[in-house]
Amino acid sequence: MSDAHNSGHHSAHANMEPPIYRADLTLTDVSRDINAPIWAKPTGWWWGAFLTSFALLLLGVYVIWVQLHVGLGILGLRRPVMWGSYITDFVFWVGIGHAGTLISAILFLFRQRWRTAINRSAEAMTIFAVMCAGLFPLLHIGRTLLCYWLIPYPNQRHLWVNFKSPLIWDVFAVSTYFTISLLFWYQGLIPDLATVRDMETRPIAKAIYGFFAQKWKGTARDWLHYEAAYGLFAAIATPLVLSVHSVVSSDFAVSSIPGWHDTIFPPYFVAGAIFSGFAMVVTILVILRKAFRLEEYITMDHLEVMNKIILATSSIVTYSYLVEIFMAWYNGSPFEVHTYIWIRFFGPYAWAGWTTVVCNCILPNLFWFKKIRRNLFLMFLLSITTNIGMWFERYVIIVTSLAQDFLPSSWGYFKVTAWDLAMFAGSVGLFFVLFLLFARFVPTIAIAEVKGVLRKPVGEASPVLEESNA
Amino acid sequence: MPERYRPPAVLGIFRDPEALLEAIAAVREKGYRGLDAYTPYPVHGLPEALGLKESWMPRVTKTMFFTGATLAFTFEAWTMARAWAIDVAGKPFISVPPFMPITFEGGILIAGVSTFWAVVIACRLWPSFKYKPLDERFTNDRFGLYVPVRPYESSTVQSLLQGLGALEVRELA
Repeated sequence: MSDAHNSGHHSAHANMEPPIYRADLTLTDVSRDINAPIWAKPTGWWWGAFLTSFALLLLGVYVIWVQLHVGLGILGLRRPVMWGSYITDFVFWVGIGHAGTLISAILFLFRQRWRTAINRSAEAMTIFAVMCAGLFPLLHIGRTLLCYWLIPYPNQRHLWVNFKSPLIWDVFAVSTYFTISLLFWYQGLIPDLATVRDMETRPIAKAIYGFFAQKWKGTARDWLHYEAAYGLFAAIATPLVLSVHSVVSSDFAVSSIPGWHDTIFPPYFVAGAIFSGFAMVVTILVILRKAFRLEEYITMDHLEVMNKIILATSSIVTYSYLVEIFMAWYNGSPFEVHTYIWIRFFGPYAWAGWTTVVCNCILPNLFWFKKIRRNLFLMFLLSITTNIGMWFERYVIIVTSLAQDFLPSSWGYFKVTAWDLAMFAGSVGLFFVLFLLFARFVPTIAIAEVKGVLRKPVGEASPVLEESNA
Repeated sequence: MPERYRPPAVLGIFRDPEALLEAIAAVREKGYRGLDAYTPYPVHGLPEALGLKESWMPRVTKTMFFTGATLAFTFEAWTMARAWAIDVAGKPFISVPPFMPITFEGGILIAGVSTFWAVVIACRLWPSFKYKPLDERFTNDRFGLYVPVRPYESSTVQSLLQGLGALEVRELA
């Protein structure tokens, strides 16, 4: 390697692979560059994005207001399709969240050191996505103000929730997922908040960052416990993330509806979740690195690795579609053939079925070409089409299976209304409002972790201060 | 609130983790004990250099995982079979497979929350609006070595640290 003169343990493992960050970055550079957006005035782009997202959020609030007064009838829900776009949106957002945990926990356990550039923002994305996801079941239950009935609490009638129902598993899975993701994220943030606290000059901001940095000192013993806990969080978050989407898929798979009753659902949902989540990470990072000039840290190599993961998960998803279709034909049930093959690809929902196939199975194959994997504009476009495709995948699974079941006299057709779309737009607004605030006020890259994988982690010399003391 | 009593000590400030590790080895060689180091990121090999014991975090997580899982399962079994038994599709009242997801999530939830609180306790974290660290550069780009000394050793240790490449040496009383 070029700098074989590096001595000690740092270069010992750094030399086994190409450098992740520019070799001459100092510790001082890292703190200064990553925290720069906190002290810079937000750009016009930031304000534009923020105000647009905020407008969408207000639209969502308006929909909720109307829905709480008028009822679920404003949506496209009509018999027989009583699970419509809200459940689609729920599964979509939970899925988005999974990439964050995958990056922060699973890649950590596999010692993928490139994750240091993206884990913080991906974890933030997880938390905000799960918040959006949690909104939809609460609205979907109709009597939203009675949502606390989902929690088992001692009540006057001595009744409990039904623990044998996947819908209750979901309540526990999603709330556990949110809690653990939030704690994992916050624990990782504490040392970086301390960095901001100690670099901050404005007294009020210093006090606020200090409050959240919780007297972090960074002693050897602190780091020892911190690192142990971080590894343990990664170890428990990994099976957790797999369980959450498996439980979400059980909402469908445990029923006996053709199109839902499928043993392949848990792994298929998890792969789809990672696929859409990584696409969302790419969407966000392309914007983030441009808006806050973080190209030194979120490099093209990082984006390329993520595009490779998108390609890999796209092929898993494609394989799952093929297995579903094959099993529908092979098991000889006319209802299964009708749902999986006829309705979705030739019947009333063919438009949605083919959108899914084009976006999820065909377009991501462009990532076989290195030029496209490293083209910002194209990867941005493909990350958006992937998420359109993944939204439609859930739409197809949920809506088509309900629209036409065993009895032709009860068949119906679900039409998305403006209210359905407005509520989805509202959740997108909520997501981006939270993300933009995060990007403005919190270090978007894990400073301490980047410092840990630098080639030569030394501080810059500051001659004025130190030579007088030395 | 008064700060906790701190014995007299010498603080050496370095800009390079290698120099810090070498200094720790040299200072320990001279027989000084109870050293502590301040670093902006977890330096590989530092706990070993200081001779720290392994963290007790794994015990917390493991114990609390099994506690949480047991509690969750017991609660499910109690509500579904004792408190108000409801026949769901002719399944047994205590039916293990459908109880598993929440048993697992319960374990994870309790394990995660306990691990977080264990860190708060172990690192003595507490929200404070006006906390002043020992040196503001330790979370940024400098490494600190804290050597507790007897008052008469102070100048010896100061020159020792300077000889080991400390950019700055300070006496903490």
